[in-house]
Amino acid sequence: MNLLDYVLPCLWAFLACVGFGLVFNIQGVGVLICGLGAGLGWLVYLVCVNFLTGDIFSAFVAAMAIGVYSEIMARIRRCPVTGYLQVALLPLVPGAGIYYTMRYCVEGETQLFLSTLLHTFGFAAALSIGAMLTSSVLRALLPKLRLGRE
Amino acid sequence: MDYDKLLNLGMELGRRLMASGAEIYRVEESVQRLLSAYGLEPQVFAIPNCLLVSVTTPQGNPITSMCRIPSHGTDIELLERCNQLCRQLCQNPLPVEEARRLVGELPQGRRFSPKILLLGYGMTTAFFSLFFGGGMQDGLCALICGLVVGSSILFAQRLTGSNVFFRTVVNAALASALATLLVKMGLGSNLEAITIGTLMVLVPGMALTNAMREIMAGDIFSGLHHTAEVLLVATAIALGTAVPMLLSRHL
Repeated sequence: MNLLDYVLPCLWAFLACVGFGLVFNIQGVGVLICGLGAGLGWLVYLVCVNFLTGDIFSAFVAAMAIGVYSEIMARIRRCPVTGYLQVALLPLVPGAGIYYTMRYCVEGETQLFLSTLLHTFGFAAALSIGAMLTSSVLRALLPKLRLGRE
Repeated sequence: MDYDKLLNLGMELGRRLMASGAEIYRVEESVQRLLSAYGLEPQVFAIPNCLLVSVTTPQGNPITSMCRIPSHGTDIELLERCNQLCRQLCQNPLPVEEARRLVGELPQGRRFSPKILLLGYGMTTAFFSLFFGGGMQDGLCALICGLVVGSSILFAQRLTGSNVFFRTVVNAALASALATLLVKMGLGSNLEAITIGTLMVLVPGMALTNAMREIMAGDIFSGLHHTAEVLLVATAIALGTAVPMLLSRHL
């Protein structure tokens, strides 16, 4: 895998999420921060998939990275973390999973349908738990470190 | 002190927060803090489509206000403004009339024009189709699909109705049909990349992350509400995409 295979998808993720930030009415630099979070998350995911095993675990790690990034940005900019987290997680949300699940269902491939369905659920759960875990841990830790509240 | 006015102030702020797509615990916490800053001991309860605030006056009279929250999108700018105003008022409680005026001015924040929003939809779908392995031509197709789906979301809400399930079915069917058509016309080649890229604007990513955050924060009821919404919308996307797919196979 050469470098371009890492850089291009992250660039597309960045641009796509900047677009989605506009839809969510994120003004100013916030929209770039969201895009960067998305690119970063996808980079972590790609690296994990290539050097560790299992894409569900990679999604978990990537979601944790996004969680940390969003919480830090939210505290620096003194804004709610909601927007950053939601937009940055978007490339990882299993849109493709939903699509393939439905396609196998329509084609009558029951085995593939069931395995894709379960895989999609697992992926989504890994995402939410990863993002949530960092939020909870940082929420508990940061006030003690005197880094200010959100 | 005018308790009715204070209660209305808290209620208005909570309503705005809810309408901006904030998590339930954020709404409850903000209203709680705001009214506490004015020396009350409020009881706040919120679920995704209802907000209840109750205070007891020193004379022992309980006053309660309830507000039903209509279905809403996400408006991060409004959320940030509410959050900032809430923090400001908690540190320095202004007179109620003044605070009320500030809360009333919240929705007048910066907002993108429909053109920019449409551009946002187009950008999202185009780059997501490249992201999912499409070529430049597929990106162009997805841009067209995104513009159409975006205008359907922005302008055709009266036609598609307020029901989330039905609206998503219609939009997903539109995306899938258009993608199939563009590929048949020979403009795009990678049907999957175009369709998935376009579906990304419909995918309930926001409800998914909110659902989990709420369950972890202890708001099980709201978490389940949002989880059900996620499943419903995902099913709607699958259903809507399946229709043109089946048709194109049998025509």
